Amino acid sequence: MASRESSGMEAFFNPRSVAIIGATPKEGKVGRVIVENFKRRFKGRIYPINPKYEEILGLKCYPSVKDVPGEVDLAVIVVPAPIVPRILRDCGEKGVKAVIIISGGFRETGTDEGRRLEEEVVEISREYGIRVIGPNCIGIYDNWSGVDTYFLPDKKMKRPPRGSISFISQSGAFASALLDWMAYNNIGVSRAISYGNKIDVDDIDLIEYLGKDDKTKLIIMYIEGLKNGRGKLFMEKAREVVKNKPIIVYKAGKTARGSKAAASHTAALAGNYDIYRAAFKQVGIVEAESFDEIGDFAKILLMQPLMKGNRVFVVTDAGGIGVMLTDALTRQGFEIPVTPDDLKNELREVLPPHCIVENPIDLTGDADDERFKLVLERVLPKPYVDAVILGALPQIPGLTNRFIDYVADVWSKYRKPLLVIDIGSEEAVKFKVELESRGIPVYESPERAARALKALYMYSKYVLRGGI
Amino acid sequence: MNPKDIIRKALEEGRTKLLEHEAIEIIKYYGAGVADAYLAKSAEEAANIADKIGYPVVLKIVSPDISHKSDVGGVILGLRNRLEVMDAYQKIIDNVSTNAPNSRIVGVLVQKMAEPGGIEVIVGGLRDNVFGPVVMFGLGGIFVEVLRDVSFRVAPVSFEDALEMMKEIKAAKILEGYRNTPPVDKNSLAKIIVATAKLLEENPEIDSLDLNPIIAYPDKAIVVDARIILKKR
Repeated sequence: MASRESSGMEAFFNPRSVAIIGATPKEGKVGRVIVENFKRRFKGRIYPINPKYEEILGLKCYPSVKDVPGEVDLAVIVVPAPIVPRILRDCGEKGVKAVIIISGGFRETGTDEGRRLEEEVVEISREYGIRVIGPNCIGIYDNWSGVDTYFLPDKKMKRPPRGSISFISQSGAFASALLDWMAYNNIGVSRAISYGNKIDVDDIDLIEYLGKDDKTKLIIMYIEGLKNGRGKLFMEKAREVVKNKPIIVYKAGKTARGSKAAASHTAALAGNYDIYRAAFKQVGIVEAESFDEIGDFAKILLMQPLMKGNRVFVVTDAGGIGVMLTDALTRQGFEIPVTPDDLKNELREVLPPHCIVENPIDLTGDADDERFKLVLERVLPKPYVDAVILGALPQIPGLTNRFIDYVADVWSKYRKPLLVIDIGSEEAVKFKVELESRGIPVYESPERAARALKALYMYSKYVLRGGI
Repeated sequence: MNPKDIIRKALEEGRTKLLEHEAIEIIKYYGAGVADAYLAKSAEEAANIADKIGYPVVLKIVSPDISHKSDVGGVILGLRNRLEVMDAYQKIIDNVSTNAPNSRIVGVLVQKMAEPGGIEVIVGGLRDNVFGPVVMFGLGGIFVEVLRDVSFRVAPVSFEDALEMMKEIKAAKILEGYRNTPPVDKNSLAKIIVATAKLLEENPEIDSLDLNPIIAYPDKAIVVDARIILKKR
């Protein structure tokens, strides 16, 4: 079992050659979009398979995968469900070891025929030792090798830039929406996998693979449910991965309760979601409770170092933001310590008398870039400061682009968790884009910033105490 | 009897719910503090047990057919001497014969009364299809029944996990003591949680269980009632 888990995954992500079975030149068909996708980015050999054509989009087409002259590392199947078993057997005969079955029409239909077909597919894949992703899935988007079975045309679903976030999604629709959203927000993606009915490759194989993948620095997962009996192994693998890179999970299906007839109090009280939450927490997985949190947590976990304690200092140019932040942070359990005397004195030396040196430190509306710099330089390195939030409203006249350079410079010197609250229109968006390109996450609301910092803190706590 | 034998016997007799003294015996085997309870088959035997475990005691009917013992007059509390115990024994048998005439009577449980004071908590366990054994912790009464203020962990559960579970519930501060109440003995509670996880892992026949209530005192925690449900075969 152990060897099965880890084996054969490489062919999905880095094949030297791919056969697209069910390829077609017909506009708007899945079998065409996938050929186009591969042609655009994939550097290996592409073999369209369809007995009706000699050539598709300028590529030589073969009647069967068995007719392909060279080796086939990966096969993508997009033919109707009833003939998938026959096609899969052809792949087995050809010696293909990795197959993505895009086609639907299996167990998910709830019909006897669908179930029977799926069982047949499972049997054939075992007989030939083929690893399968799917069926009923959109498969893989790999930003490095160019493997792209997402059958959404380039115009409808933008492809994000290369980056270090990988994600795993039970839902194909959510995966493509997330990719599109990340592309729009210029968030870099490494690999994205949607596994559909997961008859073979599942969450466990994928977190194990991505855990070892040096192109992936953070994993996002959308899960509805794990397969029966797989929970323990999932926890074990996740615990390993989390030591080196964060896993953010969005669990869908939060409200459904177990159908178990309640013979005991405990059985009646234990919702399925409660148990997932406990499991996530036990292995250091960061749970995002809403869609917003997925992005909010991903950027802080990716950009910022571990947070070693729970003491937060706030530096702002707007007293109101300082109060809002204090509320939001306190609600998340953070400590907002009073400014110690040594720091107070240092700050008084560089600040005009009307500024407030008590935490939250208020530089007031006549603050400028230098004032932020002078204060941040003094606050960030202090041993009793675990994180700093800058409430920098860009509407005040003294704040210019230099603010971004100053903040980024100080931060890169001390590398302690630092984030910025920035609320407003075009000017605020410009600041946000610039700051984030320099590795400083920016949030539009104190509450979201506080939740994100909490995610970083909880993850850090788990990792720093050795993953227990 | 050890847990395996108790479970095997119940399954052989076609029972999926262990009798109270059987459940208590299993919990005790795993090292949890329990209110000692023994089965008596006669008034004389009940009095002897009471003499041994000390007064006051409570008597409870033991029958695979009765789950709401109080409703049929099957529970009598606060018995302070031999004579009261022997009277109560007969009274329970009479009550049950009148109120639940077709029930099989295994005997009467003689259990030491819980000391006054303390805070009621619940520890539970169940077997989840995905994650396997899972344990639950919460405060008793309205906290669990109305507010569903409980925390969970997937087994195995370490002592630290168990302490963490107690901090996670919203009413955690009650365990720390309030007004004139001293804090409860969280280490003893943690031991019970760890034991619950362990017994679920070691006995795959168990489907779910409730230790409810457990009374937590400043210096100990005592399981007063236990319900263990076996998987249907």
